[in-house]
This record gives sequence, structure tokens and C-alpha cells, in this order.
Amino acid sequence: MSLLEEIKAKIKEELPGLDCVIGWKQGFDPLHATPHFMRTEQDVDQLIINPLCVQNLATYLPGMKERKVGVLVRGCDSRSVVELLQENLIKRENVVIFGLTCNGAVDLAKVKNEIGFLGRVNQVSFEQGYMQVKTPQQDYRMELKDMLLPRCQTNPYSSPVLFDHFFGQPEDASACGQGGSANLERLENMGLEERFDYWQYHLDRCIRCYACRNACPMCVCRDHCIADTRDPHWLTQETDVQQKWMFQLIHAMHLAGRCTECGECERACPMDIPILSLRQKLNREIKELFAYQAGVDPKAVPPLLTFKVEEANINERGW
Amino acid sequence: MNNPYLPDVATINEIIQETHNIKTFRVVLNNETRMQEFDFSPGQVGQLSVFGVGESTFVINSPPTRKEYLQFSVMQVGEVTTRLHSLQEGDQIGVRAPLGNAFPIESMQGKDILIVGGGIGMAPLRTLLLTVLDRRDEFGDITVIYGARSPQDLCYTYEFDMWRSQGANLVLTVDNEFPDWDGRVGFVPAVLTEEAPSPKNKVAITCGPPIMIKFVLKGLKDLGFEDEQIITTLEKRMKCGVGLCGRCNIGTHYVCVDGPVFTYAQLQALPSEL
Amino acid sequence: MAAKTYLTHEDIAKWLEDMSAGARVLAPARVDNAVLFVPFDQHNELVLEHKATAPPKQAVFPQTETLLKYRYSKDPEHPETQSLEIREALPQDKTVVFGCRPCGARGFVIYDRVFDSDTLTDPYYKARRENTAFITLACDTAENTCFCHWVGSHPADPEGSDIVLCPVEGGYVAESVTKRGQELLDQAPGRAATSKQEEEASSIQDRVRKDLGEAPDISSVPASLLQLFDNLDFWNDVSAKCISCGACTYLCPTCYCFNITDEASGLTGKRIRTWDNCMSYLFTLEGSGHNPRMTKAHRLRNRVGHKFSYYPELHEGLFACCGCGRCIQHCPVAVDIREIILRAKESADEQSISA
Repeated sequence: MSLLEEIKAKIKEELPGLDCVIGWKQGFDPLHATPHFMRTEQDVDQLIINPLCVQNLATYLPGMKERKVGVLVRGCDSRSVVELLQENLIKRENVVIFGLTCNGAVDLAKVKNEIGFLGRVNQVSFEQGYMQVKTPQQDYRMELKDMLLPRCQTNPYSSPVLFDHFFGQPEDASACGQGGSANLERLENMGLEERFDYWQYHLDRCIRCYACRNACPMCVCRDHCIADTRDPHWLTQETDVQQKWMFQLIHAMHLAGRCTECGECERACPMDIPILSLRQKLNREIKELFAYQAGVDPKAVPPLLTFKVEEANINERGW
Repeated sequence: MNNPYLPDVATINEIIQETHNIKTFRVVLNNETRMQEFDFSPGQVGQLSVFGVGESTFVINSPPTRKEYLQFSVMQVGEVTTRLHSLQEGDQIGVRAPLGNAFPIESMQGKDILIVGGGIGMAPLRTLLLTVLDRRDEFGDITVIYGARSPQDLCYTYEFDMWRSQGANLVLTVDNEFPDWDGRVGFVPAVLTEEAPSPKNKVAITCGPPIMIKFVLKGLKDLGFEDEQIITTLEKRMKCGVGLCGRCNIGTHYVCVDGPVFTYAQLQALPSEL
Repeated sequence: MAAKTYLTHEDIAKWLEDMSAGARVLAPARVDNAVLFVPFDQHNELVLEHKATAPPKQAVFPQTETLLKYRYSKDPEHPETQSLEIREALPQDKTVVFGCRPCGARGFVIYDRVFDSDTLTDPYYKARRENTAFITLACDTAENTCFCHWVGSHPADPEGSDIVLCPVEGGYVAESVTKRGQELLDQAPGRAATSKQEEEASSIQDRVRKDLGEAPDISSVPASLLQLFDNLDFWNDVSAKCISCGACTYLCPTCYCFNITDEASGLTGKRIRTWDNCMSYLFTLEGSGHNPRMTKAHRLRNRVGHKFSYYPELHEGLFACCGCGRCIQHCPVAVDIREIILRAKESADEQSISA
């Protein structure tokens, strides 16, 4: 039985006790997968698992409220599930975690840079570390490791950190955590004024669609967001860079110590704005200050959600 | 070109504290010509602006037959209404009116009128009531059943005698017993059923909290009223007030243009998205 | 309609430069990884091969615009009084939008019917609409997400445009659609198109239409959607993966929902109109706390309903959708509105069979 068949069989086995199991199925064209809510055996037959399954399914969990659901996760998105558990936003007994190993997920922005136009893709296949894309004009072959999402490059957890069922061999997931964040390094090497210009330039094209916010599994307050509220009136509804930048900064701050760097924010942005680096930077600071990474240990308490009289790495008074 | 988004500047002439959270504002447009030429039909609404805060929709509470001022009754609920409540006589606001449709007065001529209101729901009904009283001969019997949670929550108490003297049969009720109340006690839908008005040659107009409307509609149907004989007004979040911004629609109908006045028959034909 | 003109790419560059003297010329250029309509600049390469990331919606319907400015003033002699002055802020610009696709320009045909009708004129919209010309490029490639032919349009649809340019070898065969278009075209360098070029343009168009494939018949979709209105199982199902963001709404050439808010700065301020998103929870939230569209199922039902049922019912069958496919391409979770309306058609048929 292939790995996919094994997974399908397990899901079918668990399905009777669950409201649904969330996975992926084929999307509107060969390049796109789409989240799939499986309730019947026919639904499960449509399940696909491949590097095009990019969506972080943990984002649906808080919305499931008291329903018991199953969810498919890889190393990176299992951290989102763990973070939700740490913050009591979901209950452990309400989620059945199907853990997968993964060879990396494809960044369509990189594919677009490689082949130019994504609108007429006829076929996509993966084999032996290569991704093959067929268009009416040409066939393309690229190394999968060059086409990966930012989260593949920075997330070191190749196996799900928490799971109820595990599929695959841990050594399969060798691609995780290789490469680092090019955008973040570039920013770190810039002076303050240069960084300011960088963000003014990039945020100018933001259309305040809040895809970044809504794609984030941690943003459970999306219906009551600071970006829309008039009390307090932090942001106006205008589309100048000031408002948009303020929103990104607030968002990043609200995610400090909570962001699991799944990168959905950057992936979801229709204008391809490189906002992940803001969150990665804050995570880096949190790691230095508190030796903490979000979404790894379900029993850990996120450092900004607790108070310690003495902090190991913060010694402001020189005592 | 007429700019539908541009309000008229108006001055608050008088503020009446109706209840602990409802105030009535009597405003006059600053532009005298505009005030004189201001024309509207009962049921139509206006957007009041507190500049810097926003706009909110209220029914034009005074009838077209009494145009010394335009009256709006405001319940304090959110940002705009809270600011409105903090204003004084003499303060300037914006008025964007008239918007929406009106009560089908012509179709009510020659009939008996039954008005059933609850709490702030009496606001649009007052407009209709005073219009009908000012044109008394055109209509048959006029009965008003008006109730509120407590005697302190009844609006326009200072006018009840005037309503009676001008020819309305007034049935007042409050939800529970109160020490200083020796009138009727009971929820409005229950009082309606007790009064058991006949549907013959009658038109019923109702407005109030959603739960009250639900039971009043049922009560009226049980009494034998046809869908076309029942009229109500709807409330929705509104912004543009002219059927564009996409917020207040129920299917194809925009509450700010095709409403807020609807017959029950019309509501039955629309998708249920209240 | 005058004879067709042939314009080379160099002709186009000169023409755009000339027009920039008298109007704001917006053309698609690269802005980092996106292609957006920005003021034409010779040094900024035009990106015309495929449709831009965002449609040229902002040219006529900007994301933020000031409706009016206000000022309270106090008389120092009588500080308890105040006076109020308000002033409308009508737009004044002249614009030429170059290089959009028929789907982008056609979006305004949907706007026109509501923003400038017998009963209502939106003066801000009208001022911009009357002063914006659309020089549209017909498509020579159909994308996997294109479905303009489902909604009564096609890759060279002139509706909503002033000039249509059909791509051929070395340039374009241009044809004016309106009087304003002809006036603009008269100013362009170029020469009469040869019949061979006209044939080339035509055959490219034929090929694209063939690539698009057959359009399903969606004339029954408005009725199907109404029939399914109370079927929350259906709407919960199709909206399950939606994350209620605004990517689809803000990139849609036909979406026009907006918000009006006041932004104050002491005693002065302005009232602005901004794009709003019916997929947001706050869109219909009432002061009392009641929300008629409380879940994303309700909101998606309204969005699809408005585009494919309510608007067509009020406007002689015209769908409030131009089939550009941006909502599909940019949805973070690949919601496909084509799938929803086809399923609606199917489910409604089943519902009526079983009824």
C-alpha cells in the first residue's frame, strides 16, 4: 500500500468519530491544491498530498469550536496546532492530528520567477527531487529544493512535533530548515533609513485585504481587529503607507512569541509583499531573550503570556 | 449636480429627554430655502452626521404636516448616537434626507388604522400617526397599541393627550407591574391579542424590537390579517443611504431605497436575511 | 468606425508620452513581484503580455477618496457657539488607462448602471468616469482561470473601452470604439493597418476563443441561487475553506461595495469613502450587536448572490462579474467561484427534482 493509501485508510477508519478531517484536494488547475473537508469515504478518495499542498490547515481549527475534527499536518504546521493548544484556543481532545513527513512545499512565486507565466500550466509532476511543469509552449524542469516556501527554509522541525498518527519515515523530510531567510538577512544588513525606505516601497502596494491576517492560524481576533475598529481609533481607513505599515507592525507585535513562521501571511498576499521577515525578526528576538520558539512544546507557556519576576536574559539593572 | 453624499448643515433647536437612553432632537436646516422646500413623506429616513464621528440613520419623526422643525428620536447604542447624545441645543450637525421609501398612505385612505409599537419603534409610527391625525377625515378609526418595558421607557408621554384629543384611541401597556403605573400590564403582542381588533377594512402598521415584531406579526395573522394588510419598517446597518454600498440589501432589495417600509407580503417574497 | 490603425511598440511609447502631457496616463508596469497600473514613465518598462495583478479599478474608483471636508469654528466672543462649514471635494483629474484587458475595462459597465442611473448619480464616480479613457488590449492568451465568455464577454470585447488594440506581429491593430477613442487614436503615430494585419489579428482572436473552450449555460444560475438561499448546508460546504479576507473583493473589477467614515483632526476633518469588503464580519454588524450575516457561509452567499443573482435580476441579466479570474488566482485557499455557481446550478436542479 502506498503512503497515500495508508493515510486514506487511517482517515476512513477515524472518520466516524469526527465531524470531518481537513486535508487537501486538487484545485482549479494542476498548480493549485485546495483545502478539503472530508466527511465521507468519497471525500477521502479525493485526498492528495504533494508539494503543492501549501495551505496551513491549522487556521481552520479555532473556527471548528466544539466539533471534533482531524487535521493533516507536517512539521511546520504541527507547530501551529501546538501553539493553538498552548493558548487554549482549541482543546486537545477535539483534534486528531494526522502527522506527515514532507519534502518541502512549493513557493509559486519562485515558480513564476522561473517560468514567467503561471496561467497556462497543463501538468505538474514531482520525482526524485525535481518538479516538472508543462505549458503549451514549453516543458520546465527545476530542482525542488530551489522552489521551496520560506517556511521550508527556516523551520527546522521536519517531523510533526505532536501527532496522533504518523505517516512516513522521519528521515524523508530532509529539506526542512535549509537555507535560512534571505529577506531577513538582507534587512539585517541595511541601515535604519534604508529599511524604512524598503518598507515604504513594499507597503505602498498593500490593498488592506487582510489576507495576511486571515490566513494566520493565530489571528483568532480577526473579526474584532485593531485595523477596523474605531474604538480605539488607531488606524484610519485611508490607504496611505502610514496606516498599512502601522497595521503590519501591530500585527507583528501581536504575534511576537506566537508566530510559528508558517509563512501563510506572505504566501497569501496577492501583492507579494515580503512581510514574513517582520515576524521572523521578532521571533529571532524572542529566541534570544527567552530561549523560546513558538509551537514546539504543548506544555510550554509563551513568554509574553506570562510573567516572571526574574528573567534569565534580561538584566536591565545590572544586578 | 445634486450630490447625494453631501449633508445639509442643521442646528439643534431643542432636545427632549424621552427616556434614560432615548433623546429626541428637533433640528432646523440652516439654509432657510432648503428648510422651506424640504419635502418628504412619512416613513422616510435621514442620516444624521456628527462630523468627525460618522452618520447614523433615523426615521424623520415629525410629519410633513408639521414642518417647523425636523424631529429625530435617537437611542444611544454606539459611537455616533453616543456623540449625538452629548450635543447641546445650538450645536451643528449634518442632515442627509429624505432617504428611503414611505408608508403607502394613499392605500390606507378610507380604512381603519391599527398602529402597534414597542419602545423606540414608536418613532416611525409617530410620523404616521400625526400625519393621519392631521388628515383625520381621510381615515377611519385610529387605534394605537403602544408598550414599553416600563413606564420610564415610554416615549412621547407628553403627547398622549394630544393624540387622544385629535382622535386616536390609545392603548398603553408596560411589560410588568410598576408601583406608579395603574394602566395596562402585558407584552404588546399579548395586549394585541386581547384587544382582538378585526382585520376588516383595516391596515396594521408595526415597529419595535425584532422579538416584538415577530410575535405581533404572528398575532396579526392569527387575527385574520392578510399579508398585504400588514406593514412594518426594517432596520439595517447603513452607510451610503442610496442603495450603492452593498450593506443593507436583502436579496435584490436595498432597505435604504426599497425600504425601510415593507408590507408583510413583500417581506415574504424576499429571502430571509433579517 | 474608422479604418483600423497599425501601431508598433515604438509608436505606443511615443503616443503614451504625448498623452502624458494632458492627462494622467496609467499603464501596467512591474512593482516588485506584482504588475500594477502606475503613472506611465518612459524608463519603466511596460508589462503587457498578460493581465496585470490588479485591475485598473482605482483609476475611476480609488480605494480612498475624500467626499467632503468639514471645519467647526468657534467664535472667540461666544465660545459656547460653533459654526460648521462643509465642502465637497469633487475630483478633477483626466486619465487615460492603457493596457488593461477587456475584463478590466468592462468592470465599469457594471458600475455605470448603479452609480450613474436614472434615479441616482454619484458625482465623484461620474466626474472620474467621464474623464477616463480606456485603451484596452485584446487578449492573445487565455489563462486557466479566464471565464469572460461565461458572462457574456470575450477576449476582444469593446464594451467599456474607448479603443481596442489587437496584438499582431510587431505591434497592434487598433480600432476605436467611441468618439473619444477616435480622437485619441487620431493623435497616435501609426499607419493604416493592412488587410493582412487585420486577418492576423482576427485569427489570433479566433485561436484565443478556441483556447477558452465552451462556456456552460449559466442563465439559470440566478434562479438556482435564490432557490438555495435557505440551504445553509450548501453554503457551509462551499464556504468551509474560505478565510473571509478581502483578496477576491479588492482585486475584482466589478466589486464596488464601500464604506464611509469620518477622520477627524481636532476641529477639522474629512469624510472619506473607502473600499469595503462584504466578506468581513463587520460589514453588516449593527449597533445592537445583531449581525444578519453572521457566518462566512452567509457572507459568501451574499457575495455570490449579488454577483450572479441579485444584480442580474435588477439589470436585465447582466452578471456583476467579468470573468477575469483574479478571485480564483489570488485566493489564498483557491476558492473557485466557477465551481460554486456550477454546483449551485446542479444542487438547485436536484432540489427541485426531489421537491
